[in-house]
Amino acid sequence: MIPFEYHAPATVGDAVAMLAARDGAKLLAGGQSLVPALTYRLARPGVLVDINALPLADVVRTNGHVRLGALVRHHVLEESPDVRRWCPLLAEAVAYVGNARVRTLGTLGGSLAHADPAAELPVAMVALDARFAAVGAAGSREIPAGEFFRAPLTTALAADEILTAVDVPVTRGAGTAFVELARRPGDFPLVSVAAVVAVDRAGRVADARVVFGGLAGAPQRSAPAEDALRGHEPTPERIAAAAHAARRALRPETDVFASGAYRAHLAEVLARRALRTATNRALTVEVR
Amino acid sequence: MSGAPDRPDLIGQRIPRHDARDKVTATIAYAADWAMPGMLHAVVVRSPYPSAQIRRLDAARASAMPGVVAILTAKDVPHNTLATDVPGQTTTVGPLRAHLHVLAEDRVRYQGEPVALVAAETLEQARAAAEAVEVDYEPLPGVFDTATALAPGAPRVHEAGNLLAEWRIARGDVAAALAGAAVVIDGEYETSFVDSGYIEPEAGVAWIDGDGVVTIRLATQVIEHYRDVAEVLGVPQNRVRVIGTYVGGGFGGKEDVTVEVYLGLLAWKTRRPVKMVWTRQESLLSRAKRHPYRLRYRTGASRSGEIVAQQVEIVGDSGAYAYLSALVLLYSTVTAAGPYRVPNVAVHARVAYTNNPPTSAMRGFGAMQVVFGYESQMDRVGAALGLDPVHVREVNALRRGDTLPVGQVIETHVALPVLARRAWDSLGEPTPPRAPHVRVGRGLACNLQPYGRIVWLHDWSSAWVGFEMDGSLVVRCGAPDVGGGQASSLCQIAAGVLGVPLARVSVHISDSALTPLSGTTTASRQLYMSGNATLKAARELREQVLGVAASMLGVAAIELDLVEGEVRARDGRTLALKDVLAGCARASVPRSRLAVYHAPAGEPIGFMKVGGPDMAPHTPQTLAHGPAEPGRGSGKVFPDYTFGAHAAEVEVDTETGVVRILKYVAAHDVGRAINPTSVEGQIQGGVVQGLGYGLLEEVLLDEGVNQTTSFASYLIPAAGDVPDVQPIVCESGEGLGPYGARGIGEPPIGPPAAAIANAIAAATGARLARLPMTGERVLRALGALDGKDG
Repeated sequence: MIPFEYHAPATVGDAVAMLAARDGAKLLAGGQSLVPALTYRLARPGVLVDINALPLADVVRTNGHVRLGALVRHHVLEESPDVRRWCPLLAEAVAYVGNARVRTLGTLGGSLAHADPAAELPVAMVALDARFAAVGAAGSREIPAGEFFRAPLTTALAADEILTAVDVPVTRGAGTAFVELARRPGDFPLVSVAAVVAVDRAGRVADARVVFGGLAGAPQRSAPAEDALRGHEPTPERIAAAAHAARRALRPETDVFASGAYRAHLAEVLARRALRTATNRALTVEVR
Repeated sequence: MSGAPDRPDLIGQRIPRHDARDKVTATIAYAADWAMPGMLHAVVVRSPYPSAQIRRLDAARASAMPGVVAILTAKDVPHNTLATDVPGQTTTVGPLRAHLHVLAEDRVRYQGEPVALVAAETLEQARAAAEAVEVDYEPLPGVFDTATALAPGAPRVHEAGNLLAEWRIARGDVAAALAGAAVVIDGEYETSFVDSGYIEPEAGVAWIDGDGVVTIRLATQVIEHYRDVAEVLGVPQNRVRVIGTYVGGGFGGKEDVTVEVYLGLLAWKTRRPVKMVWTRQESLLSRAKRHPYRLRYRTGASRSGEIVAQQVEIVGDSGAYAYLSALVLLYSTVTAAGPYRVPNVAVHARVAYTNNPPTSAMRGFGAMQVVFGYESQMDRVGAALGLDPVHVREVNALRRGDTLPVGQVIETHVALPVLARRAWDSLGEPTPPRAPHVRVGRGLACNLQPYGRIVWLHDWSSAWVGFEMDGSLVVRCGAPDVGGGQASSLCQIAAGVLGVPLARVSVHISDSALTPLSGTTTASRQLYMSGNATLKAARELREQVLGVAASMLGVAAIELDLVEGEVRARDGRTLALKDVLAGCARASVPRSRLAVYHAPAGEPIGFMKVGGPDMAPHTPQTLAHGPAEPGRGSGKVFPDYTFGAHAAEVEVDTETGVVRILKYVAAHDVGRAINPTSVEGQIQGGVVQGLGYGLLEEVLLDEGVNQTTSFASYLIPAAGDVPDVQPIVCESGEGLGPYGARGIGEPPIGPPAAAIANAIAAATGARLARLPMTGERVLRALGALDGKDG
């Protein structure tokens, strides 16, 4: 065994102080990424700061937002009536994460701060235009989801900052959908797509957001797909054209799981499916 | 003097395995669970290069590190050569000799090849020292596919050349038959490198016992490797003992030596207990894999669907060392035409060295890859002639008395038509597609798989059965239990013959010093061989005991039966077994019996000589030549075969290429199901592993460098990938095992890939010719994705 120090602070302030005081200190939340990294000796931190005792596990409906504490477990996102009603995209996305064991322990904040480029929740958060609350030695700040994910396993958080909560705007007048494909159920996906489609009274797309995961170092919004939809009636042909436009702008890489060409193809297919579902949902009372 | 015939009351009963509870509650001490006072921890230093010269190896700095007790390199190994040709109790097979170095000397030929061993007080110290062993490698050109390896001027993996072995069969006149055929189908198929993927990586502990014997407790399918350890150490074979643990998955991956030689060396040098547990990455990196094959089939059929000719070319990748490659290729050669009567057959099979990881035994042992070839061809013949999949197989199925292309006469019943019909019909009503982009289709695939070893290996097994004074029963047998229920089946057989409740039976297995040797748990042979040995011992013991009881009661032994721990006479009198056993002592009759079962033996066919650099010089071998004469019989290779038929219903997403299995049925004639629950477990497990082969698993190599050394990148089927597999157990009673049982360990892994490929073809018209059939490859086959195959 490789020795390390272990601390379990009771307040966010103490946790931040520990991060600030010790180089290379790592936060332990659900441990779904960190513990395997320790097991495989991919990470050898000298200090582990266990934040499970911090009061960051609440789901609170506020004015136009759902505020999710960083320690909200995946299964809570999956099951919370507030989440299912007000930001159903999150419940749909999180159901793809790992398996029941992973979702029992894994945390929202852990998944976002780990920033695996294929993870589901970052994609959903960018699609929902969520805002991340961080606390560091220099104080508190807010970071838009679109600016949070920088590169694989790299975020906008400073070394002494802790992600404490996420504010997710309530989904109003829009339909959402999350679709992904993995080599095996529960694996990180080859491609994931989150779609948010708002339709106006005239039946035209008022706004659309299409975000891909697994294709680059961070979640990728597709401006071509969104532009292709905005202001148009979301017919199957229009949706297909938008998905095709999205694909043309993508240059995914090849790895051991799939070629870049297959990923690009999947991106188009899954974008089409996600947009169809989101549009159908937007046109029904389900989300009104 | 013999008792009434034993009544096999327990045969065919669904009896819970004696070890099931212990495994589920984690009270069984697997190999890695063992610990001893003063135990050292050992690791292997491995080559990072697939092809390189070792220019300098310096362990001085590493040796001086904290806790390091020993570092061994090639020059520290008394005899640095390991024979890897035929494991088990028979090693004399003529000129077939395959060797490798225990530790690399001046050359490494694959990534992960062992170069040095380190033992230290703690595992962390051993790992740190292993990283500090200085090795200067000079990378050399390598060959990473068989086509390059066999081309003139290719870099040589071994000095004498890259062609390791070559087999041929030539029966009848293939050219004439193809010329006269109503339909000729050409097909090329490619199978992949796959790993055993067992849950338990290679592990063991060795120590020098009080009597000076080198004792090694490890997970193995072959305890007889104690002889290899002795050869390497230069000590008599009776000074090494191997204790086999319950095995957390073998599948052939624990048939060749794993950790035992390293552990033996380190315990011998340090005189302390030593433990070695390979990591998952290490196991996936360096463990021998299944041979990837390139198969080329040309199949001719008459208008009514009879196969008139099969022309087959096989090229396999042996990786860097021979291991069992020549024999794996022999299995492929013999079974290449499938379970069908084909009058004209030409098979040309070669296996070549490359700088890829070595390949060797894996469940199915060469009889597996070819199923993908011959069953894809069979389906295409049926489709070309408008015949349904069951019919085209019924028309061609082997029958008792038919002759295989190699010249072996099939001497037992072949239930193939029944199996195919039952499997196909059991799929029931077709499932309607759930969406416009989804197609549903069904596929069938049959196979034959030898069980028992090649007849010229003169296989044998022994077992000891004895009563304790109190009437409880002990079975001793060297058989390793790899999770298939090997030990449980022996208990069931002995208990049934001797009329003892199962709860009163203890079984001791897998100890080269204390249990009679019974050979390898490989080749689907353990129930067949050790089941027969146990049955023989139990029956002979029954005669001994009833003979004494007959004297005590003054009746003929034929009047007596052994039931529920007592001897019962026809006249109603009974004797407590305990009293009869005391009577045995008084009468100087042993309460135990050792029996040896010898499999039917035969002489090598053709001129049994294969060649290659670490063997004798290469000579192409013709196994059989001339007309396939019924009853000729000189071509016997295997004792017998197990036949199977699998049927699958799949859905194909034509937009993503993803294949999902909706229904799966697997039918096998197992001869006799000793324990139907265990038989069904073997069938379901084999199917799952076969589906992994078909759809998911692939060792990916980049110029010999393994890209898939964790279970995050090497994808074995998980719960979400596995359909409900419906086993159909047919019992012809025609097998050579106890009560007519056939081997069932390997057969179920054969058909799944072909059954799925045929179902995909039925659903979409696309023919998948390369494994695994990933969504990406399906999409390319559908013509919906351009570009190079990834």
